[in-house]
Amino acid sequence: MILECRNLTKSYRGKRAVSNLNVRLEEGKIYGLLGENGSGKTTWMKMMAGLAKPSQGEIFYNGHPLNYMDKNEIAYMATESFYYDYMKVSDVEKYYADFFQDFNPQKFKELIARFGLDGQMKARNLSSGMNAKLRIAATLARDAKLCMLDEPLNGVDYKAREDIISIIVEEADENRTFVISTHLIEEVESFVEKAIFIKNGELIKLVDLEQERAAGGRSLAEIYISVM
Amino acid sequence: MLKLVKYEWKKQRTSRLVILGLLAAGLIAFWGGILFRNDTVTVLSLAFLYTFAVMVLFYTGVESVLVFNRDLRTKQSYMLFMVPKSIWQILGAKFVSAILQMLFVFALFFTAGCLSLAAAIWHSGKIEAFVQFAEDLIQAFTEHQFDWMVLVEAAFILFLGWVLIIMIGFLAVILARTVLAKSRFAGLFAFILFFLINVAVEWGFRFSDLLPDVAGKGYFGWDIWNILYYIVACGGLFLVSGWLADRKLSV
Repeated sequence: MILECRNLTKSYRGKRAVSNLNVRLEEGKIYGLLGENGSGKTTWMKMMAGLAKPSQGEIFYNGHPLNYMDKNEIAYMATESFYYDYMKVSDVEKYYADFFQDFNPQKFKELIARFGLDGQMKARNLSSGMNAKLRIAATLARDAKLCMLDEPLNGVDYKAREDIISIIVEEADENRTFVISTHLIEEVESFVEKAIFIKNGELIKLVDLEQERAAGGRSLAEIYISVM
Repeated sequence: MLKLVKYEWKKQRTSRLVILGLLAAGLIAFWGGILFRNDTVTVLSLAFLYTFAVMVLFYTGVESVLVFNRDLRTKQSYMLFMVPKSIWQILGAKFVSAILQMLFVFALFFTAGCLSLAAAIWHSGKIEAFVQFAEDLIQAFTEHQFDWMVLVEAAFILFLGWVLIIMIGFLAVILARTVLAKSRFAGLFAFILFFLINVAVEWGFRFSDLLPDVAGKGYFGWDIWNILYYIVACGGLFLVSGWLADRKLSV
């Protein structure tokens, strides 16, 4: 087990975004994080990334309470652009290289070339789709043990989606865990191993899709409809 | 932490360029006024340079607080808080960067002032006067006609006062984003808190005046207790800011 959340709660202005969430993430698995808009997926990911502090409950990473040093092994891709205004694509590379030991500049260069990005492009001038590609490239160029991608397939073209999926599948091994939040269920069905369903900040269900597939069971979309 | 300082320093690059540009424009106008013996241009440019210096020194003092507030208000905060650095390193880097920015501005205006003075004396047609002025200045410094300690004390007090303002600003911003985050008027409260904390700290300063004098007072009436009080107040504000951010800050 790489990460465990115990009774995790996060409130914003009195409203619970995540409520008493208990979940364990196993090492080397690809998790799909599914739920309606505003169900608490992003808040939960941000807590695991150390960006948001829980109102209650605890997060354990590799058996110890989550702390800032764990960010060395945890990568998080946000839904929106967050780079500094002055940054070019090459500045993003330098920034990640400066702070993350697991960052692979060569892999970053390959990824941005694959996504049609150039080192001299200004991050803030990129379209939302291109910016998403940049965030994905920066996140996936890290060999992080726990990699969390918040809606990585949103706003990107079909070819890039296929690229992202194939990169995730290539990168996934028994040592790396992926958590992918998405609304594009059909796109992730083929490679997601476990699905976490969240509704109103609460964990509704955790489904082992490998078992489901082996049993000839329902598709992920069918499970989603029945759960939600 | 040096890497964090590097990126914090870059954030204020635009303001440095603007300051440099406007200062250069003011200096060119001043030198042009002297060169072409146009008193109106000389006086106006001098007035501009003086006003600009006061404004820049004030702005530079609060700019780091404004940048910190912007960092926490926008998604750019992820850049800071996704990296494997402790809150103490992050706040420390912001503090060091703020000091560097202030030193840069001081150095810039000091150099500009010296250059302007030198140009004015030199162009008055009396190069001997300039040489004499430089010699007098060196003599005053070297023969202790000028008390260096007064200058050091003034700079130190200014520095302490400025650090205190930064620390209070940081705390007010963190309060707005943590314990006051639930309020719709968090920004306004933080602004009010900034002044309230200032008043509280100055109130405490008066108590340090009541302590027995052990080493005499300096040129500006400060004694060792006053200095210690400011240092402890700055340290205390930094600790409270870090403690709050470490436990409560969500970006």
